[in-house]
Amino acid sequence: MGDSSFPSGGFAFSWGLETLKTDGLVSDRSGVESFARSQLRWRWATADRLFLRRAADARDVVELAELDREVEVMTLARELRDGSRRAGRSLLRAHESMETPGVSAYRAAIADGSALGHLPVAQGLVWHGMGMTIDEIEAVSAYAMAAGIAQAAVRLALLGPLEAQSMLSILRKDMTEVLGQKPPVRPYAFTPAAEIAVMRHERGDARLFAN
Amino acid sequence: MNNKPASAARVGIGGPVGSGKTALVEQVIPRFARRGTRLAVITNDLVTKEDAERLKRSGLIDPERVVAVEAGACPHTVIREDPTLNLDAAELLELKFAPLDLVLLESGGDNLASTFSLELVDYWMFVIDVAGGGDIPRKRGPGVLQSDLLIINKSDLAPHVGVDLDLMIAEAEAVRGGKPVIVTNCHTGEGVDAIIDHVARDVLFDS
Repeated sequence: MGDSSFPSGGFAFSWGLETLKTDGLVSDRSGVESFARSQLRWRWATADRLFLRRAADARDVVELAELDREVEVMTLARELRDGSRRAGRSLLRAHESMETPGVSAYRAAIADGSALGHLPVAQGLVWHGMGMTIDEIEAVSAYAMAAGIAQAAVRLALLGPLEAQSMLSILRKDMTEVLGQKPPVRPYAFTPAAEIAVMRHERGDARLFAN
Repeated sequence: MNNKPASAARVGIGGPVGSGKTALVEQVIPRFARRGTRLAVITNDLVTKEDAERLKRSGLIDPERVVAVEAGACPHTVIREDPTLNLDAAELLELKFAPLDLVLLESGGDNLASTFSLELVDYWMFVIDVAGGGDIPRKRGPGVLQSDLLIINKSDLAPHVGVDLDLMIAEAEAVRGGKPVIVTNCHTGEGVDAIIDHVARDVLFDS
């Protein structure tokens, strides 16, 4: 499920990295690693992780839709909201074809506008539906996020392909540490540089990526 | 979304950068409009939103019916290995503008090896141009060989770039094993009606 070639659209998102490069704020391996670490520790671990858990435990589409609304209101930058919805819908589309349990009803709710299909909610639903444990779901989600950043960095010429792999192996230690801690009670996120970059991306000329 | 009515046909337009894909889209939009084909367009701009903006400002189509899908620096991935973002955009257009007959997907421009996944499109055309070199058909790229329709554009430039157009057409037909080849000048619209005829007959089934 964490295979980067699984077709769910992840390759088109940089989550702020494209603009941080354009603005000269990230220009090398240490910058990319700091960016990925802050995304992991101050967004994924404190927000996405909770939504994954709640989505995996959700009893029905109404609960999933409530989680979607919570993600929506706590995500300030428009292209982060759009990106999360687009990536979530893409994952759901693939899983509807695979007949993963729960996906069809959730997609119908997205089509009629009563749910939004945010990425962590979609991941929690589909991976739980595939029979994965919560520990597996969290590990795959965290790794997919880091691997997506590493690949975007390679395509932005910030990292060489081997550097990207070496960065991921270092980040695995961060992931292990984060996954060993208890998640916060309430979701929050604090990644101001990335969020400002995503806002600037809306009007920027650099548009290899969707955010 | 799976219980929606019969969905619109999806037609891909691929080809190298600068071969005339956006000019072709600009030529086909009014022709489809005249025959009553309900249309939307997705562009996979590679670096900017340039192509989408050009079409939105063209006055040829409701700007809301033109959507840009970013390719993450991977113009082939977004139409072949992972077309989910294009499928998502097509689905949103269909929900918003139902009923639609046709969604055109313009690739951001790639090389001769680019092809569309048939999980994304029902039919796809590949646009090359005479100024890109008369030897392109001979190189037998997957785009030239596998597309449902090959378009050789900028026919008017042949004498200026030393290309034997008749030979180029003959070689294209030879390598494509009978699949159609159409010669156009998308600047003037010459040859474009024949493309509409092919799409109407082979895709829309309403010729």
